[in-house]
Amino acid sequence: MKKAISIYLSCVKTAFSKAISYRSSFIFGTIITLLSNILFPIVTMLIYSNGASFFKWSIWEVLLLQSIYTMSLGVSSLIFNGVVWETMNHIREGSFEIVLLRPMPPLFYMIASNFNPESIGLCIGGVVMTSVSLANIGVMPAAIHLVKFLAMFISGIAVMGGLYLIMAAISFKWVGNSRIPEIFDSVKTFGKYPLEIFPKQIRFLTKFIIPVAMIGFFPCTALLGNSNNSELLLCIPCLIFLIFGIWIYNKMIKLYEGVGG
Amino acid sequence: MSIIKKQLAILKSVAFVTYKEWAAYRTHSMVSIFVGPVYFLVQYYIWTAVYGDGGTLAGMELSQTIRYFGVTALIGYLTMDFADWNLQMLIRTGKYLTFALRPLNHSFFALSQKVGHRFLGFYIEFIPCFIIFTLLFRINMIPESIGWTIISVALAFLMNFYVNYTLGMTAFWLVDSNGIRHMFSLVSAFFSGGLIPLVFFPNWLQNIQFFLPFQYVLYVPAMVWTGNYSLGGITMSIPHIVALQALAVISMIIISKVVNHFAIKRFTGVGA
Repeated sequence: MKKAISIYLSCVKTAFSKAISYRSSFIFGTIITLLSNILFPIVTMLIYSNGASFFKWSIWEVLLLQSIYTMSLGVSSLIFNGVVWETMNHIREGSFEIVLLRPMPPLFYMIASNFNPESIGLCIGGVVMTSVSLANIGVMPAAIHLVKFLAMFISGIAVMGGLYLIMAAISFKWVGNSRIPEIFDSVKTFGKYPLEIFPKQIRFLTKFIIPVAMIGFFPCTALLGNSNNSELLLCIPCLIFLIFGIWIYNKMIKLYEGVGG
Repeated sequence: MSIIKKQLAILKSVAFVTYKEWAAYRTHSMVSIFVGPVYFLVQYYIWTAVYGDGGTLAGMELSQTIRYFGVTALIGYLTMDFADWNLQMLIRTGKYLTFALRPLNHSFFALSQKVGHRFLGFYIEFIPCFIIFTLLFRINMIPESIGWTIISVALAFLMNFYVNYTLGMTAFWLVDSNGIRHMFSLVSAFFSGGLIPLVFFPNWLQNIQFFLPFQYVLYVPAMVWTGNYSLGGITMSIPHIVALQALAVISMIIISKVVNHFAIKRFTGVGA
């Protein structure tokens, strides 16, 4: 375990050194990543500025939900996003053997060596937006709500991680299709809005099967003090989802044929 | 006359080859059959919740807004373009040299490629999604005026291409134009009306759109499709807005040609 942590930290350091050596590209990339993800809160603001609303949700509550979503996206993208693209590239080029030959589990190597520092902007943006939204709502979360929020937020990251790993796993079979992430981006969209706006079937799906509601909605209700304790049980499907992602990735590695490299 | 015939023959053969080339990767395009309806479904529930008991928002009824999102998705399949990415890649890698040596203008070649690529999009993305939106979501997807809609979508197709191509030409100066391209695509997604109808914007922001290329790529053809155009408090008849769109496209083509004139002088082929 100690060795794994030390390897991971070395890889993180290397990723930052690499990013700093191309600093203008890094800064620009970080800003663009941030801007591209704060567009949907602007859409929410435009909707509310026209006098409409999502049921009983105030504008700042919806923005809080979307800020938490952004934060979750930032953290998960920091850890997992590189795995998707790098796996796709290795498979397309037939160079995944390089990963398989390393003296460590391939998935761990892929996660460690593909830390994505550009997502830092997204994390910072998410934190700032969350703080601003909370300040405007005027709620000071109690300790118990914060604990619930953290448990649910981490579960949301697990869901995101599961999604990234499933995407990467699919690329073993669906070689070179750069649109795979689009499929999952579309599914994730359900997590950006209050769950109440969707019908029962979609609520069930986003709570238990592909638990994207845990990315933004449930952590938000926990922070606002509107969730009950039983909702903590919803963290279980999220962990199962991540485990499924890890399992399917490792399973798909066995299907890798290479190109005789 | 023979020049036009020759150009049409070139366009046809390049488009056909591109069509065949991309048809080999048709599952790539087929992703849209899942992604398009899922995004549409999300929009459907968002706007149903937003409208609540009914009424109008920014002058649009719920059914109009839902139809707007279906129509913008369909138009996107007909006009989708990545000429900017392609051109900057050719410049960065030096491969542009092979085109510079050909007795054929590269922008025309790229336009012909786009025609072929979008023909494939028409069969694999547009038609299936049209059927899904019509039969599954029961949305009226038939254009109010088929003739004007075809003209407007064709103009949007040209506008999108020339805007992207001009953007790609920035690589003659910057070499790696990824940053500027991404920034532009963000602004474009927002101001073209892809995320929310432009009538939801503040009035001053709506008025600015008349002088920017974005609305002519998506919002205008979508409004022509649905049969009434209004922006910034200005209501125009369909022939008028299509004429304005044509004027904007001609201006964009001229800008693109001027930029091309200066850009080509900057090219230094790698290994040439």
